[in-house]
Amino acid sequence: MKKELDLRGLSCPEPVLRTKKIIDDQAVSSVEALVDSEINVQNLERLARSQKLFVKKESVGDHFRVSIDRQASPSGHDHQTAPHKAGANSAAASGAEATRGGGTIVFIAKDTFGHGSDSEKDHDFSHNLLNVFLQTIEQSGLKPRAILMANSGVKLIDPNSSTYKVLCDLKDSGTTVLACGLCLDYYGLKDKVPVEQVTNMFAICEYLFAADQVLSP
Amino acid sequence: MTTNPQKDRPEDSPRLTSNVKAAGCAAKISAHELKQILAGMPKIYDANLLTSITNFEDAAVYKLHEDQAVIQTVDFFPPVVDDPYLFGQVAATNALSDIYAMGGTPLLALAIFCFPTCDYSLSMAAEILRGGADQVVKAGAMVAGGHSIQGSEILYGMAVTGLVHPKKMLTNGGAKPGDAIIMTKALGTGVSLLALKADLLDHEEQARLFSSLTTLNNRPILVLNGIDIHACTDVTGFGLIGHIHEMTKASKLAARVSINKLRFLPACLELAKEGLVPAGSYANRKSFESNVSYINDLPLEVTDLIYDPQTAGGLLLAVRADDVDEVLRKLGEDRIEASHIGQFLEGIPGHIDVTIH
Repeated sequence: MKKELDLRGLSCPEPVLRTKKIIDDQAVSSVEALVDSEINVQNLERLARSQKLFVKKESVGDHFRVSIDRQASPSGHDHQTAPHKAGANSAAASGAEATRGGGTIVFIAKDTFGHGSDSEKDHDFSHNLLNVFLQTIEQSGLKPRAILMANSGVKLIDPNSSTYKVLCDLKDSGTTVLACGLCLDYYGLKDKVPVEQVTNMFAICEYLFAADQVLSP
Repeated sequence: MTTNPQKDRPEDSPRLTSNVKAAGCAAKISAHELKQILAGMPKIYDANLLTSITNFEDAAVYKLHEDQAVIQTVDFFPPVVDDPYLFGQVAATNALSDIYAMGGTPLLALAIFCFPTCDYSLSMAAEILRGGADQVVKAGAMVAGGHSIQGSEILYGMAVTGLVHPKKMLTNGGAKPGDAIIMTKALGTGVSLLALKADLLDHEEQARLFSSLTTLNNRPILVLNGIDIHACTDVTGFGLIGHIHEMTKASKLAARVSINKLRFLPACLELAKEGLVPAGSYANRKSFESNVSYINDLPLEVTDLIYDPQTAGGLLLAVRADDVDEVLRKLGEDRIEASHIGQFLEGIPGHIDVTIH
């Protein structure tokens, strides 16, 4: 069912309240609301986003038409309604179990951030970039749920590596920091990493498949 | 302390807030509009006038003699709540606040009142005035008169006169690099008042809001006697960012604000997220956002609240970083809600970094 609302002439918070009443009814698939101020448009966009609905706006003469839909329209021009800027509001992930699911997972499968050419100088640069990446995560307080390291990525957790300190800081602030045991073994690092930070491919897969998003530098 | 917002409403009277477009300090003319309006004002030079209009001070301060200066301020707005007595209290709390923000003590208040006697009962008018007068008495001052007119909309407030020792006057200017920013009260009255109007606050949320709106700002500076306060203002219509911006500009410094340290009124983040954001918040964002850099990505509702126009908001104090523990302890002992929300730094004057930590 599609509903149309003329909310022109109403002052805040009336347009939001009336629209919310309509979209709370699950039988309503979409709402088209006419409003006469940019503020009402923005408040309706907030409402739609908070309800995880799709929203579109267009100006019509001196007023605006805001369309809120349960589903993305076929034209695909809807605004993204994912939770706004999710990075800052992720819950702390201390002691997380892989099976609990969700959150942002940083998955690092090599010891560089992207890669330059094969020269050693470029490799150092790419490695340093990765260090900057981790430090930026730590300083910005983004708190990913877990950082998973595999293949040459496990070298980051070598106590002699420049990235060791920032990984410790991230761990202290509640992010789970884990390295693939097979990989640690291959690179001769297994004895240098506390056993509670050693994981296996099974757990890595569970984290990755349950994540809200996976970031791989 | 708090009263039921609708208990005294006669059946035939409309709700006090029904006709109001913008509530409380959210009704303020925006900063960028005000700048245009004031551009043509004559320049004032007087050795005894201790405040400058260009610094957007909370009140005017005029030195009478070496030991005494008089503070004058005026503030009024349309009803923010339906209970007339409570509205009177809130308007008085808000008007008196400017005196405290200048470091002074209120002496006399004159009521300013616009009231459509055809639409509302006279007993409602009497309740508004009584609420205001009682609050002024609580502040140790008195309402000594006033002026009332008929109008299409209810407006109420006060012109308040106070006194301060010229050397103890506090302004937006005077903060030093490294000073801590201490804030009293919680943020979110703009969003909460909008939600109240929409009947979206439960009993406890209303109680918290009303308590905040009627808490005088008389205690903090009194309690902090002996501490060197470098600068002070109250958080009102321009919101947290707007008022910190005025402090940084007047003090020729930059500032950093930590979101994690801010206190918010209950439910207001969730309400802002659902679109209960007052027009004044958008106006403040427009006026001040160019002075702000966000170090972290922040949820929209958090940034809505740092621009949220406050009615009878708390104080912002600049104190030495070394004094922070003592300041928070003294305020805490007096049961004043306060937090260390950031610091003033060398940098581009007026610039504010907003960070999570």
